[in-house]
Amino acid sequence: MTPARKPPTDRRSPGSSRPGFGRAILAVLWKDLAAEMRSRELLSAMLVFALLVILIFNFAIELAPFLRLTVTPGVLWVTLTFAGTLGLNRSMAVEKDRGCLDGLLLAPVDRAAIFFGKMLANLVFMLLVAVILLPFYSLLYNLNLFNPGLLLVILLGSLGYVAVGTLLASMAVQARTRDMLLPILLFPVIVPVLLAAVRASGGFLQTAPFEQIRPWLNLLIGYDAIFLAVAYMLFDAIVEE
Amino acid sequence: MEPRPKLLSLLTALSLFLFLAALTVIFVYAPLEARMNYVQKVFYIHISTAWVGMLGFLAAAAAGIAFLVTKNLQWDIVELAAVEISLVFFLVAIITGSIWAKPSWGTWWTWDARLTTAAILELIYLAYLLLRQGIEDPERRARFGAVYTLVGGLSVPVTFLSIRLWQTIHPAIIGTASAQAQGGFAMAPAMLHTMFFALGTFSVIFITLLWHRIRLGRLAHHLEQRRLQDAE
Amino acid sequence: MIPFEISIKYLIAGYAAAFLILGLYVASLLIRWHSLKRDLETLEKLQSK
Repeated sequence: MTPARKPPTDRRSPGSSRPGFGRAILAVLWKDLAAEMRSRELLSAMLVFALLVILIFNFAIELAPFLRLTVTPGVLWVTLTFAGTLGLNRSMAVEKDRGCLDGLLLAPVDRAAIFFGKMLANLVFMLLVAVILLPFYSLLYNLNLFNPGLLLVILLGSLGYVAVGTLLASMAVQARTRDMLLPILLFPVIVPVLLAAVRASGGFLQTAPFEQIRPWLNLLIGYDAIFLAVAYMLFDAIVEE
Repeated sequence: MEPRPKLLSLLTALSLFLFLAALTVIFVYAPLEARMNYVQKVFYIHISTAWVGMLGFLAAAAAGIAFLVTKNLQWDIVELAAVEISLVFFLVAIITGSIWAKPSWGTWWTWDARLTTAAILELIYLAYLLLRQGIEDPERRARFGAVYTLVGGLSVPVTFLSIRLWQTIHPAIIGTASAQAQGGFAMAPAMLHTMFFALGTFSVIFITLLWHRIRLGRLAHHLEQRRLQDAE
Repeated sequence: MIPFEISIKYLIAGYAAAFLILGLYVASLLIRWHSLKRDLETLEKLQSK
């Protein structure tokens, strides 16, 4: 099996030496978003699932008023982690089942653009779920979650999650044990994101001094940068045939 | 399948010899530790097996990169062998560490950076094996394995540093047992000699086992190729 | 100092666990080797027919 050879690109600055790169990303992104806007299957499934998880947490963990603030970041991030897995799985499975991925790969675009397009779509879905989840949680537990710091953490955390998740999902979907495999592959690798996101979220919600929160934000940014680069480089190896 | 090379037979014999020698050194030469008495001797095995685990981890990552660059399936065989050995040896390291910790610190487990990272690494290895199990095409299995080795491998130091960071910011959270657990024990020179001898012994054991496991992998590969040919 | 009886128990437990796991692994390598060898011979016999 000869791997498809693509012309060498300047990997340091996507978009500058290949004007099609940015447009390709947007095209893939738009394709996914448009498909979802029509059917809304993915979002509704993720959303309902997330709300159910919050409900289960209510019975599983003592969310008494004085404990709520300490437990909330953990509950939020566990919920997002699980709902995110649903989204990643579905998003990739759809490609494979409808044979869209092969079609995409035949197009004369940089493979990395496909990756970033998919990743951004997954990011949008995850952020949408978070944005809807927050007001619900706020109402149910009488907490104000409209904290710009918290929103920033959700953005950074979701980005890291989705970067690694999209890469791993593209592998998992091709295995026999498809649905079960993604969480198994993803969760051990995502631990730094979870840890940093929960700590930083907690810090912002409890209005801790920024100096305490900053190391966690740095960790999130560092993780995102490293794994975006790694995913970008490795995606080729996954779709090579 | 080629017959066992003489060098490997020699290495195997050497490994056995060194292993017995190391046990002798540990129990005859090394002095008793002042506070922990005999149980401290478990520590030599704990460190040595963790060391082999590390070697396996690095070998797997290197093999993963080598495969992605050269596309030679022999590297995939090396990678799987290294992962398997690392998995087993880190398991021994975790268990012996736990057994050593109980009388020393009063707890079987602490959520400190090293132990937690080791546990997460074991889960990554298991995930790696499950990933391979789910893919039938050997070439794709090798590619995906290499990708996950790199992603997983890169995440491990980041995870370790994150948990360290957590400990420095919130030392109390992980529990008082862990706070005590930071202290080790002072090693007398004779203990250091023993430690180095054990590390050397286990390094030789690592190379020997890796070589044997690679041979096993090549046999399996050979068998798989024959079966696939048959099916065509 | 930790009392001798306790210390020796953990020592034995530690070494036993280590030897057991390592021993099982080496045994598994041997078993897998022989099983693969047998499979290969069977396959070669079938293919030569």
